[in-house]
Amino acid sequence: MLFCRLATTLGTFDISLDKLSDGELWLAQFFRGLSDGATYASLALALVMIYKSTGFINFAQGSLALLGVYLVYVFSVEQGLPIAVAVVCAMVASALVAMFIERTFIRPFPPNNVLPLVIVTLGLLLIIDSAVGIVWQFRTRSLPSMFSDSAPIQWGIARLTWRTIGNLGAVFVVVGLLYVLMARTKIGLAFRAVSSNLESAQLMGIRVGSTLGFGWALAAAIGTLSGALVVPDLLLEPSVMLRVLIFSLAAAALGGLDSMVGAVLGGLVVGLTRNLLVTFLDLSELALATAVAVILVVLLARPTGFLGTVRRERV
Amino acid sequence: MNFTAMGFKSNQAVADTQNTQDTQDVDLLQCDSEYLKVCGLRAAYGDVGVLHGIDFSVAKGQIAVILGANGAGKTTTLRALTGMVSTEGSIRLAGEELVGEPTAEIVRRGVAHVPQGRGTFGDMSVEENLLVGAFVRNDKQVRSDIAYWYQTFPVLGERRNQPAGSLSGGEQQMLAIARALMLRPSLLLLDEPSLGLAPMVTRFLFEQLKASNAIAGTTMLVVEQNAGLALSVASWAYVLEAGEMVLAGPACELAVNDKVRRAYLGY
Amino acid sequence: MGLALAKEGSRLHRRRQVIGWVLFALVVVVIPFLIADTYSATIFGNRYTVGLGNLSQAIAFMVAILGLNIATGYSGQLSLGHSFFVGSGAYLTAVLVNDFHWSYLSTLVVVVPGLFLFGVLFGLPALRIQGLYLGLLTFVMATVFPSIIRLEELADRTGGSNGLLIGSDLVAPSWAPTETVAEWLHSIPGLGARVPDGFTSRQSEAVYKYFLLVIVAAVCFWLVRNILVGRVGRALIAIRDNQLGAVANGINLAAYKTLSFGLSAAVGGVAGTMLAMHSGFVGPDEFGFNLAILLIVGSIVGGVATLHGAVAGGLVIQFVPHWSGQTQTLPGTDIALQGPYGGVILGVLLIAIVFALPSGAANGFRQLKARFMPVVPQAPARSVIVSPDA
Ligand SMILES: Nc1ncnc2c1ncn2[C@@H]1O[C@H](COP(=O)(O)OP(=O)(O)OP(=O)(O)O)[C@@H](O)[C@H]1O
Ligand SMILES: [Mg+2]
Repeated sequence: MLFCRLATTLGTFDISLDKLSDGELWLAQFFRGLSDGATYASLALALVMIYKSTGFINFAQGSLALLGVYLVYVFSVEQGLPIAVAVVCAMVASALVAMFIERTFIRPFPPNNVLPLVIVTLGLLLIIDSAVGIVWQFRTRSLPSMFSDSAPIQWGIARLTWRTIGNLGAVFVVVGLLYVLMARTKIGLAFRAVSSNLESAQLMGIRVGSTLGFGWALAAAIGTLSGALVVPDLLLEPSVMLRVLIFSLAAAALGGLDSMVGAVLGGLVVGLTRNLLVTFLDLSELALATAVAVILVVLLARPTGFLGTVRRERV
Repeated sequence: MNFTAMGFKSNQAVADTQNTQDTQDVDLLQCDSEYLKVCGLRAAYGDVGVLHGIDFSVAKGQIAVILGANGAGKTTTLRALTGMVSTEGSIRLAGEELVGEPTAEIVRRGVAHVPQGRGTFGDMSVEENLLVGAFVRNDKQVRSDIAYWYQTFPVLGERRNQPAGSLSGGEQQMLAIARALMLRPSLLLLDEPSLGLAPMVTRFLFEQLKASNAIAGTTMLVVEQNAGLALSVASWAYVLEAGEMVLAGPACELAVNDKVRRAYLGY
Repeated sequence: MGLALAKEGSRLHRRRQVIGWVLFALVVVVIPFLIADTYSATIFGNRYTVGLGNLSQAIAFMVAILGLNIATGYSGQLSLGHSFFVGSGAYLTAVLVNDFHWSYLSTLVVVVPGLFLFGVLFGLPALRIQGLYLGLLTFVMATVFPSIIRLEELADRTGGSNGLLIGSDLVAPSWAPTETVAEWLHSIPGLGARVPDGFTSRQSEAVYKYFLLVIVAAVCFWLVRNILVGRVGRALIAIRDNQLGAVANGINLAAYKTLSFGLSAAVGGVAGTMLAMHSGFVGPDEFGFNLAILLIVGSIVGGVATLHGAVAGGLVIQFVPHWSGQTQTLPGTDIALQGPYGGVILGVLLIAIVFALPSGAANGFRQLKARFMPVVPQAPARSVIVSPDA
């Protein structure tokens, strides 16, 4: 399908040539791609955190972020808190919810058998998404952004807005903090030990349950942040994070499921390719398909993404 | 070898009990000096029972060894002690019941376990592995202990920043043992420490263990296929067969027992 | 309590197996007559229904899950985008019936080989991309299907966003003995009261459709079983359990993996045809993300590497959402439930099932059966048991 569209687009040469030689359009889409990519990257970071420590994908990660975004809405629009404060409150609240969920639904299962755990996260996805629908209904709302849409740098139609800068900055700050947390603190050491070898970690006296609970809390907070970054560009409604989740899953696979830097890289690549392909090949309703194509090509070349480690199998 | 650098307190009283214990018989073992006491221990993987009610004990400061054929249940015994397999019966450490406790809590009471197959953190550096070993400690001597182990096993020092997974099998075994001792355990469980080590290194390692035992008073329970070496280091020995304890006695006596000689010493 | 111990392969055991199958067949045959009029029951103030249509859809889901189990359960390749194959099968059938005036069943001649080829093509990248990476790739693919269907270029065939109403009814042929069986059942005292003594044409069409689907499903299960108990099945399981070991033992990894994807897709395509037959309508969103999740859930709930698990899974993913949608008030109270409570109930049930039966519903059923009808397994005939002291 992609090819047939490609052919038609190239057939109508004039439009594409016009577009392709339009430097401002390139730059504008480049900025938009970075901005979108940063939001995918932050949810992908949350996915990677859980994958690293437990070996499975938390399909409810997007739902936790959804809950977080609605909390941002409640704190900022309904309670009137400044948006940045509201985001921080919502991050803390969603971290607490995630800890509770980990404690009640995840910890009872043996951590080395991932299949029941995956289905529990699917169950959580259904529960949280519907619960949000019940509480807040399906009405769409708009959410204020932490960063203004004004542009300090402008070049024709290409505007580098504070929002783009803010989104990117937020992701890099998160990655930096995570790096320090993992490399320099005791809880980070415990987290990495649990990720590396669960049984040995227990034998070192590490309480695996609470360490994983910490991972869940952190991932949920990061997910909420990603929601607070992305939703102002869209509209707030109960399925908004599902779409973001899919791009983030793509980003996580692209970057390597167990690499945090890879998640960021993957997010940016997905954001950029999506925006550039969609604009220049006129593929707007195929945004997702382009994501699939990109992952397919990258994974064929590198089966564990850009930076994922290869787990060697032994006979 | 500078053991004071490790900050281990030498405990003369403990060493004394241990020496007198060597000559005592099984009945007298049921006294207060038993540090680890196991009664009617059963363990199973799913529905398959592996241990069928075994009794044994290790006195404080003693080195005990468990011998047994492949599949006898030695690894399972050690795993039961640290709560890594479903267990029934009683395991008392200094009088406190361990059955039902989670692994991490057992370790926090001072039980270190070097599992069969090492279980190093392959993607973390050698130094980080040692740091994780001291995870539950809060004292200031962690760094000096690490320095001590670098001195004891120089190869670990040379590769302190390399991922543990890139070490050879024997080097990883050294790392696993050093990591376990970073806990400064009161009871050390070792599952086939000589696996994959050159004979020279094995002897060196056992000297190290013996020294730790003598100076820090660390009680040890060792599972070992190199029965001759193990019996020469240990003061007490058990023989496990198909999930039952079939023999127990002072190591020197078992070493000359005909059955043990034929089955485990091979002469 | 419990029945006497039966040795595996003994007369008693065989007899029980035969009785079990006969009972199962009887239930399958009698049920459509009982619920041809939608059966309903009121439990805790909520009215729950079981329609024949629900059951037919469940049967189609069973086949879909069967296909998923071939790739995921048997050869261990995480394929989360099975809805893509099911959707392709459904649309292929819909287009052939609508635009080319084929009969429903004859479309299988195109759907099965077509989807098999498609699956094989799809299996090629899976040779290189493995595990969760493959899972994520296929999952994202599943979400792409609706947008492909909506493409303008295809809209005049696929109906775009509006979906496609298939303009052909399944009319029972005159020789179908529906009426006779219904009358006969009606004459049985007790049970008969539930069977209507005359069928409307809609009812007999539903009954006819149901049996058609049952037969297609039975053929699928039978074929897949025959493939999986033999050489192919052993090879797939070997690949799943130890890929390198399987290669070392001379199993052609590439061939078997692509074959399993081909089979999986072909069976998925048949399930799509069945869904099109059942509802006479195909729409893009029916074969998206939600179906993908439902199928995974059904597969896991039933037990991934079992055939009868697909039956359990199909029933669960059909009836749990259906019934939770019908739960209007909180059971036992009159607190009204409005909004998507169905999703909450489905999620809670899923988690409850996993808590109760961690290895899948089919396994749980087997454990129950083992409790009440114990069977002593027999060692293979020629094995020699070596005693330890020998
Ligand atoms: N994870 C497991 N699941 C099921 N059975 C197991 C498991 N681990 C061990 N067993 C069984 O338990 C029995 C005892 O095993 P164990 O590992 O304790 O033996 P061992 O004495 O340590 O042998 P070796 O000298 O080979 O290490 C064996 O029969 C083995 O098959
Ligand atoms: Mg062993």
